[in-house]
Amino acid sequence: MPRLILFHRLILRPLRREPARTLLTVAAVALGVAVVLAIELAGSAAAGSFRSSMETLAGAADYEVTTAGGIPAGVLTRLALLQEPLKLDPRIEDYAVIADRRRTVPFLGVDLLAHRPPEGPSDSASFSRQDSIWTGADLGYRTGDRVRLLINDHANEYTVRGVLGERSGEAIVMDLAPATRILGRAGRLDRILITGPAPLDLLQRAAGPGITVAAYGSRTAENRRMLAAFRWNLRVLSYIALVVGAFLIYNTISVSVVRRRAEIGIVRALGAPRPAILAAFLGEAAALGLAGGLAGILLGRAMAQGAVGLVAATVGSLYVSSTPAPIELTLATSLLGVALGVAVSVISALAPAWEAAQVPPVEAMSRGRRDHQVRVHSLRDLAFAAVLALAAWIASRQPAIDGKPLYGYLAAVTLIAASALAIPALISGLTIAGAAPLGRLFGAEALLAVRSLAGSMRRTAVLVGALSTAIAMMAAVGIMVGSFRQTVLLWMQDRLQADLYLRPASPAGADRHPTLAPEVADRIEALPEIAAVDRFRAYEITYQGMPATLGAGDARIVARYGARPFLSGANPRSIFAAMPGRDNVIVSEPFANKHHVRAGDTIGIALAGRPVRLNILDVYYDYSNERGYIIMDRSTLLKYLPDPAVSNLAVYLKPAASLESGRAAVERAVAGRKVVVLTNRSLREEAIAIFDRTFSITYALEAVAVFVAIMGVAGALLALVIDRRREFGLLRFLGGATAQLRRVILFEAALLGLLANVAGLILGVLLSLLLIYVINKQSFGWTIQFHWPIAVLLGAITLVYAATVIAAIYPARIAAKLNPIEVVHEE
Amino acid sequence: MPILSLQRVRKDYITDGDPVPALREVSLDVAPGEFVALMGPSGCGKSTLLNLAGAMDFPTSGAVLIDGVDTSALNDAGLTRLRREKIGFIFQSFQLLPALSVAENVELPLMLAGRPEARQTALDRLRQVEMEAFAARLPYQLSGGQMQRVAIARALAPAPKLLLADEPTGNLDSSTGETILQLLRRIARQGTAIVMATHSAEAANITDTVVRLRDGRVEAIAAPCPA
Repeated sequence: MPRLILFHRLILRPLRREPARTLLTVAAVALGVAVVLAIELAGSAAAGSFRSSMETLAGAADYEVTTAGGIPAGVLTRLALLQEPLKLDPRIEDYAVIADRRRTVPFLGVDLLAHRPPEGPSDSASFSRQDSIWTGADLGYRTGDRVRLLINDHANEYTVRGVLGERSGEAIVMDLAPATRILGRAGRLDRILITGPAPLDLLQRAAGPGITVAAYGSRTAENRRMLAAFRWNLRVLSYIALVVGAFLIYNTISVSVVRRRAEIGIVRALGAPRPAILAAFLGEAAALGLAGGLAGILLGRAMAQGAVGLVAATVGSLYVSSTPAPIELTLATSLLGVALGVAVSVISALAPAWEAAQVPPVEAMSRGRRDHQVRVHSLRDLAFAAVLALAAWIASRQPAIDGKPLYGYLAAVTLIAASALAIPALISGLTIAGAAPLGRLFGAEALLAVRSLAGSMRRTAVLVGALSTAIAMMAAVGIMVGSFRQTVLLWMQDRLQADLYLRPASPAGADRHPTLAPEVADRIEALPEIAAVDRFRAYEITYQGMPATLGAGDARIVARYGARPFLSGANPRSIFAAMPGRDNVIVSEPFANKHHVRAGDTIGIALAGRPVRLNILDVYYDYSNERGYIIMDRSTLLKYLPDPAVSNLAVYLKPAASLESGRAAVERAVAGRKVVVLTNRSLREEAIAIFDRTFSITYALEAVAVFVAIMGVAGALLALVIDRRREFGLLRFLGGATAQLRRVILFEAALLGLLANVAGLILGVLLSLLLIYVINKQSFGWTIQFHWPIAVLLGAITLVYAATVIAAIYPARIAAKLNPIEVVHEE
Repeated sequence: MPILSLQRVRKDYITDGDPVPALREVSLDVAPGEFVALMGPSGCGKSTLLNLAGAMDFPTSGAVLIDGVDTSALNDAGLTRLRREKIGFIFQSFQLLPALSVAENVELPLMLAGRPEARQTALDRLRQVEMEAFAARLPYQLSGGQMQRVAIARALAPAPKLLLADEPTGNLDSSTGETILQLLRRIARQGTAIVMATHSAEAANITDTVVRLRDGRVEAIAAPCPA
């Protein structure tokens, strides 16, 4: 108990005396923790939601049967003929858009006679009516409501016959037979769920080769596995703010130690042992971390609400359809938040707390001498930095571990550490070189600012380290995203050569491929303005336990019009010429990287229950989704899956036809159908809008990290004013005006910002190389060409710079208001 | 004309809402080149008098005239200008800025005033106090006596007419203190008026005038009486 009283008197009470600085530190931890929790919660909500709606009426199944292109009806028959007492649940699974809400929801066809919905009629006549639907509880419809649904390229009115029970989410359910007709599945099923005791191999034999029988839930597991890299990277990004916060905790505790060296000496002289001093300062950090962690939980929960939409949008565009599940703040997540706050704070405080414990009872060293030592050591630290940079380079050359770029992250962390160690040398160099010219140019204020930054090297180095890390991450991600964007723009220029693109109004996603009726393409092809129509069909498939997309287009047309750059640099025409009528395919770069295949390899997939061996002719650059594509000629696809419906059309106009007249002709040809007609330009604009939306969460995370760093600068400048109040008072005695005092602080902030920007940009460019060539490549398999997003970078650093200087206004005002007589004479 | 003139000066500080007098009806004239010692026990008003004389504070009543200018008639900018041009300060604990070199410390008031040739003037002043050789050093590399010499050079940098010294030998050993006092004596002889607060009778003995303060009042103004 006496120890707690002493802890309160000597540690906690001083924190209360500086509420602004204490609050800034706690807020920095809180924001860091909040971002981590928000991403964790939002990621779980977005990733955890594939199950909820699509699994409506699934019950507790044991197995699920699937295959690319749909399960032939014969499989169901063979399974039904088994002797085992099995419950079979055949399903059709697709998506529909509720027209008036513009909301995409799962649309399921199930055997309603077997499931017996809790509400509505239960006779087979009602079930089999083409307009009967049952809606999930979360949609809020009532029996009898009329709902207009957009399915593929047609919209129709449906009647809600009943509302499904709990946990039915937002699904819309229909009986199997009418659903098969509406979706044009021609007797093929998407999934069969099996409940009952039967060995897996027996079921597999009955289902036949090319049909996948797996434990129920494996698809969800596949989705989770596919999302792992995305979530992992997002999680890593979310920790940046916390790392920046760690710098600031280090700074806070360092200031606390420096300021209380005399107190430490007295307490030690009065009998306090070293461990007690160590524990006291670690306790201070823990108290700040605890407060930050607790505040971070609440803030994180609120931020998750905003983040979940962004994360879900990215998941939907790149991976798999999902409706965000409710955010669940569990006790475990809350404890994680508190633990993070306390752990980061205590770890950050270890060095200064250890230093405090070493203070001899008789205070011997002046601050000037200590800082001089740091300056002298800056060359030694620079040597360490060089060693770490070399280690980072070696780490960056290592391959991924289990699909995760762990060495890439290690290289990034090592580079950040190298930068932190090199910063004192950078400050020394720049301040030695800059002091005299700055003094001549801007007067005494600039000279004082430069000298005091160099004089308080330890503090300056930590602040520059924190701010430059945040700037570096911002610059690195900015360069990476900017390069990616530019790469995608160039890729689209090559790839998108058609004049018009058509697709069903029902929105597509990475795993959603709504179809157009085949006659649409035929009708367009017959128009006099049209030179060619490329019919593209996509199917969701599973390859080696991971979701992928099988696509097919007309290779002859692509060879004639499109340029699809290949990794090998081979001539696209010769590759496309080898595709029609043969089991030859090309695969996208993410597919090749994910599954470690290359040109010349053979891959095996099952199409409608039939095992097929496909030869990979080459690997092409692709940035449209991360699941990966296998592309074959349409003739090959139709050989295995004879459904002529198409997912989208690329329409090439004759040279004589204008875009306007061609478009008008096409729109007339598709009148009455729900088809979106896009020009080449609008498709590119739409694609780049999706791209920008995908990365908006990344920018948000960066912004928080930079905000935390700027808060740190404000807090540190406030501490600096308090610590150097005698100096500021003295300046008044020496004829300094209040405006000059303000300018000293503003100059210091401006110099801190400048140093941080220089260090941050250098580190940022190095990190961007890691992101582009190592981390991104190993995580997602995309080749990104390096580009300088000059405007974005300039804008961002100007903003950070301005914010840093603005953060100094309050401390500058405090400095100007100090009473010089009081502060100069206080001892 | 006196360089410093205090006329019936009263200074009250407000403590817990009540005025507490620090100086009462103090009148004092300091002529150019005059070396004045302020003596008296702690809390007698020496530092308050120095602050008023240095245009760092206003009197509650009465007038403080520095080189004929009434400080109460000036705003903050006017006071700052007055300090820059007319006054130099020397402190007991030297108050050098640790991050600045010796020369930079000395040229600081000149730079704050925006005066040209700051470095050359600073080196001249350092020469005057025999510290030119230490110009590039940092304060922590100096002894106490050396630091106080640098502080004196800094105070002299703008060529002030009035030098205010608050216990300038208080942190020094007697031999070093003696050297500093001789330096101040020499400066006074060159025409700069010096007002020095001190507890030391030895220090007071080298001045021209000793002003004894007690409870905020002038008890006596007399020539020093060597022991």
